[in-house]
Amino acid sequence: MEFPAVRYLERAEREHSRKLRLKNILLMLLRVAAVLLVAAAAARPVLRAGGGGHAPTALAVVLDNSLSTSAISGGRPVLEELRARARGAVEKSGADDRVWLVTADGTVRGGARAAVLDAIARVEPLSGAGDLHGAIVRAGALAAEAPMRERELAVFTDGQATSWAEAISPGRVRARIYRVPGDPPVNRAVTEATATPLRWTPRGSIQARVLTPDSATYRVALEGRTLARGTVAANEEVLLRAAPPERGWTAGSVELEPDELRGDDARHFAVWIGAAPSVRVARSAGVFIASAVDALTGAERVIPGGGVAVTPVDEAVSLPALLLAPSDPVRVGAANRALERLDIPWRLGAPRRGESSVRFQRRPAVDSVGAVSVMLRYELERSAGPPSDTLATSAGEPWIVSGPGYVLIGSPIDPSATSFPVRAAFVPWLGDVISQRLSADPGTVQYSSPGEVVARPPGATALELAASGDSARASVLPLHDDSLAAPDRSGVYFFMRGEDRAGALVVNPQPTESQLRRLDLTALAGRLRADDVRAFDDAAELESSVFASAPRRPLVFPLLILALVALLTESVVASGGWRRASR
Amino acid sequence: MSTAAAGRRADLIDPATIASLGHIEIVARWVVDGFLTGLHRSPRKGFSVEFAEHRPYQPGDELRHIDWKIAARAERWVIKQYEEETNLRATIVLDVSRSMDWRGDDSRLTKLAYAERVVAALALLLLRQRDAVGLIRFDDRIRSALPPRARSGQWRRIVTALEDPGAGLESRANEALEEAARLIPRRGMVVLISDLLMDSEDVIRHVKSLRHAGHQVVVLHILDPSERELPTAVGGANEALLVDPESGIELPATMAEVRDAYRATVERALREWHESLTSLGASYEVVTTDAPFGVPLRRAFAVRQRLP
Repeated sequence: MEFPAVRYLERAEREHSRKLRLKNILLMLLRVAAVLLVAAAAARPVLRAGGGGHAPTALAVVLDNSLSTSAISGGRPVLEELRARARGAVEKSGADDRVWLVTADGTVRGGARAAVLDAIARVEPLSGAGDLHGAIVRAGALAAEAPMRERELAVFTDGQATSWAEAISPGRVRARIYRVPGDPPVNRAVTEATATPLRWTPRGSIQARVLTPDSATYRVALEGRTLARGTVAANEEVLLRAAPPERGWTAGSVELEPDELRGDDARHFAVWIGAAPSVRVARSAGVFIASAVDALTGAERVIPGGGVAVTPVDEAVSLPALLLAPSDPVRVGAANRALERLDIPWRLGAPRRGESSVRFQRRPAVDSVGAVSVMLRYELERSAGPPSDTLATSAGEPWIVSGPGYVLIGSPIDPSATSFPVRAAFVPWLGDVISQRLSADPGTVQYSSPGEVVARPPGATALELAASGDSARASVLPLHDDSLAAPDRSGVYFFMRGEDRAGALVVNPQPTESQLRRLDLTALAGRLRADDVRAFDDAAELESSVFASAPRRPLVFPLLILALVALLTESVVASGGWRRASR
Repeated sequence: MSTAAAGRRADLIDPATIASLGHIEIVARWVVDGFLTGLHRSPRKGFSVEFAEHRPYQPGDELRHIDWKIAARAERWVIKQYEEETNLRATIVLDVSRSMDWRGDDSRLTKLAYAERVVAALALLLLRQRDAVGLIRFDDRIRSALPPRARSGQWRRIVTALEDPGAGLESRANEALEEAARLIPRRGMVVLISDLLMDSEDVIRHVKSLRHAGHQVVVLHILDPSERELPTAVGGANEALLVDPESGIELPATMAEVRDAYRATVERALREWHESLTSLGASYEVVTTDAPFGVPLRRAFAVRQRLP
């Protein structure tokens, strides 16, 4: 179209060129903004709105109630401080939040805020370390599986280094740790207390180890009766020999003066005390056996009598007996007939000559005996019968076997057949075999920490729940499974076989629980593998840190509206305009 | 004239309508006749040779103008007044470039056709006042140059010159205005009729020269209404490729979008023309081709009447 006044258009274009540039930039920005807004809307973003309140949050509170939190710090138990802080955190929860409480023993309590607060108030310290690691993992899983966007884990702990020795991965949750401020109190504890041997006849010894920065006074008690008192220096071991008058299964303890952490001031042990077994040694058993039994008799470990027979196999007529292989192979036939007559499922086979080493496999083990070799032995052949144990092997074949009422050695006890009788450990081994294996079986002792799963001893039908010194309130827990959880309280518990005690379960706190050293906040935060881990020792900071996520509002709709507005604006702006002149 | 137009003055009728009724020469006469009919004749009166009327003597009047005969007969002094006999030399400078030969609507005259009829009418009007009128037509060069004459055949020569070819690709008013100054040796009037689609600085500079020489300058800025107000669409399309017929510049534009900016630019350009020319003492009038011929005629004639 001809238009003479094009110069006016040109001039207008020149004069509006800046406006045009701005318009083009505006168009570009509008288009880019529209694309970005649509892309952002597709990502379904949410806005953390400011103001009061917080987004619905799943909060899992882990309250460390391990033994160490029962220590008195600043005039009150550490656990009381932790309970107060946990209560403050839970009180911030609202109706849209979900809250759980998980304690170090693995107990989970959830529900309404009031119920969780009540549960917090009822939390008591454990007698042991519990399983803080497992509690944190379980709490993290609870929060992570909640159908909420905001998931928080709040751990209230004393920061005990031994409890936080390993990294913990609670999952994709925001983690907050509150550690009680200040340094831990000085602690004295009995970290080890054992009675050896297991069966006192009636003589035995008690070994104990005490954790103390300086000297400490101790008391050793049996069934509440003071057996001994003394003072022990730092890192010094307590060794007490005794021949107490008590008989049967007896509970004992090694105790210190009370300090800020009472739970580890006493450590329990159990021992079976009875008369020394009587032994009758056959003349043909050899001089080494006779000498060893004489030594045991001199030490009051055994007494002469008709209890346990120590005899070559072919001369055995009754059990219990320590049976020795005959020195002459011609007696093997008579020996096997005797074994058959005694219902022992072993037979002597062909003699094996040639030196071979011995490997002891079962208690009583001979760890310090040095190398024991065998020059002559009879092959021990298993036949049908009741189960038995192999106590030692030679050249990979059974050499010493054991069963109900018998211990059978596959060689004569003579230096020409084996070096065992000339070893220093032979006499103690013989004493243990006579008292532990061949005397009446009183049962065994199992040591555990509170809550630990232990195996039920064969034949045990119940657990006597009376702790040491509290027999007046004894109660019995029937046992049905092959395993059981140790009681939460430290002490000595007895397995029952019918009306008789058939062993003991000694429950003591883990020795590591007595080490109260705390991790600093940085190290503590580094132990948790979670999102946004922060550690505090200030109550106010902690309370402002939990439920800190602002309410979220979905931005999809506003973003789409903005994109639509941008597109409409773009279409309006782009609906007309100048273009460059051409000639 | 047609029946419809017969009862109306020709200078007030739609220009396209009256132009369609006859040749430029006839139309010019109708326009001038209509113009003069509506004009209250008040020719300047003075002391030239043609007697006009008497008036009472007033102190200060020259005694040589007293009519002594009346004074002798009537014993009162009267002064003899004469109708001034002017001899203005006017040159009409007409832009006949290609940009003038354009109209935005078929119902209107082209700017050139409109301007030619204004030229014819104005020349006739001036000649009837016994002014000498000349004509210069120019585009990229001077196409016609008639020196100012007051003789009776001058108007026909002017009308004939209007039919000379033109429509050059450029408007060079500077040469035309120089020629106009050269054609008027003493004080006179120069009427520039153009769409002023040209370099304003050259025009201003030469107008300034004319004003220095004592000439009165009248600029009639001829615009098609479509040049003041851009149409919203061309052939139903919002988009248009606008081509300058002189320079060949093509400018694609969306009409609805550029209308406001264009209007503002045109108004600003007109305002600049007005300010520049009136500051020099020149008269500047914007005339659109839909305005009756009487409008530009009255503007130009009013300037003429202010001259001695």
